[in-house]
Amino acid sequence: MAGTTDIYHGLESKAASLKSAVRLLRDCPPEEKREMIALMREAAQDIQRYLAELEKILSA
Amino acid sequence: MNTLKILVVDDDKLEQKVMLKSLAGQEVDVADDYRSALRKLNAGHYDICFFDLLLGKNDNYSGLKLIPAAVEKGAYPVVMSSCETEETINRAYALGCRDFYVKGNEDSNIAAVIARYLRGGAGSAQDIFSSGFITDDPSTRSMIIEALKYAPAALPILLLGPSGTGKTTLAKIIHDNSGRQGDFVAINCSAYSEDLLEAELFGYKKGAFTGAHDNRKGRLLQADKGTLFLDEIGAMSQSMQTKLLKAIEEKCFYPVGSDRPEYSDFRVISATLEDMQQLLAQKKLRFDFFQRVHGMTITLKPLEQRKCDVFPLINAFCKTGKRLAFDDDAKQYLLRHNWPGNTREVKRFVELVSAGGEGRITKETAHRHIKQVVSETQQPAGDFLTQQQYDFALKHGLNEALDRFAYEAIKRNLDENKGKKVRTRGDLKIATRLLYSMLRKYGGK
Repeated sequence: MAGTTDIYHGLESKAASLKSAVRLLRDCPPEEKREMIALMREAAQDIQRYLAELEKILSA
Repeated sequence: MNTLKILVVDDDKLEQKVMLKSLAGQEVDVADDYRSALRKLNAGHYDICFFDLLLGKNDNYSGLKLIPAAVEKGAYPVVMSSCETEETINRAYALGCRDFYVKGNEDSNIAAVIARYLRGGAGSAQDIFSSGFITDDPSTRSMIIEALKYAPAALPILLLGPSGTGKTTLAKIIHDNSGRQGDFVAINCSAYSEDLLEAELFGYKKGAFTGAHDNRKGRLLQADKGTLFLDEIGAMSQSMQTKLLKAIEEKCFYPVGSDRPEYSDFRVISATLEDMQQLLAQKKLRFDFFQRVHGMTITLKPLEQRKCDVFPLINAFCKTGKRLAFDDDAKQYLLRHNWPGNTREVKRFVELVSAGGEGRITKETAHRHIKQVVSETQQPAGDFLTQQQYDFALKHGLNEALDRFAYEAIKRNLDENKGKKVRTRGDLKIATRLLYSMLRKYGGK
């Protein structure tokens, strides 16, 4: 399990990428939009994982 | 612009995709980790390299270790990170990084990085001072350098200073260094009546008013993704300020005669030669509007307070025409002159002198042309009193202010006449007694 510093960094990094991706998503052609959404979903899952790890640390 | 060769080093697949999209039109290579990045750096030539700091799990800032390799290959290293501690920023710059930005606004960040790369990085300030905004004045230079740091931000900028001090030039320089891809759109708010200003800013639909024969795009829409420069904002009515405030806040507005909103992502730079505090006190300027346009304030000094710029400006205006040589007396005379019309007056002076037959300028030639320029650019009677004179009169009384004015005029004329008092008495049409009493009072003679 990662330390809190790594978790916060991971959260910031993934959230920043997601924010930039959302801005670009609107103008993507359909095929690229699908690819982008898949990558965004992976990033969102990473965020979920980081949050779960953070919760574990908090309740430990 | 030629295509740039760019290397992006990031272990995050989504970030790689974002970078590839944001750098569309450039030749982009991507690396996931330190080793492959180093291999690519050694094998190829890149103009710009974007490095994430942490590459993979449990990584110890290997992105930083790539900076020296990029510097060695002559690339422009940029760090993009979501961990912007002071220590990492210092380490990155110490290793040769040229730009450091926090992830999250790639569209505007990347445009700004490319704009800075194309103008040669921070070293280009010298170019700005020798060809864009000509100044050797240290405080003006440092103010402009400070302003350029904010050029890529969306922060509104307010430029203050008398007419002819270079407010429009500086606004354009800020736009050129902002990385914003749209146009620089300027409007002088004092040149329009309220109705016309509204139509000019917001645009209008066909038939909205008599004479509206076609739909017309307003300046706000023209400035989409660019900069809207509002000159003389003090001339704008309160109701116009309210409408514009809403458009600035929401980036959305209605053209005259339309019920469909238009959207525009513009950055506002505004300017005025008036005293903002006075405009607020007199309620000519709405406080909420003022707050919205004065994110960063830059006050440009009149030429009278930066005489070191007189000859650099003259030389710059001569560049495209006849080269001129000035006698020492002429130089002294021009440096004593206060240039009330600022840069505009210098430009007109150079045009007049260049159009004349002489290439070598004597004091007499300079004096003759200055007199003509001053009479052309003379302020209207209502503006004869400067704010400085008025403040002095309030502080010391009107009699003292009049004496001070008389002494300054006598002193200047004496200098111009090489100390010949008879000439000064004649030029200023004054009695000997007044001349001597003023010299005794202020000159210690």
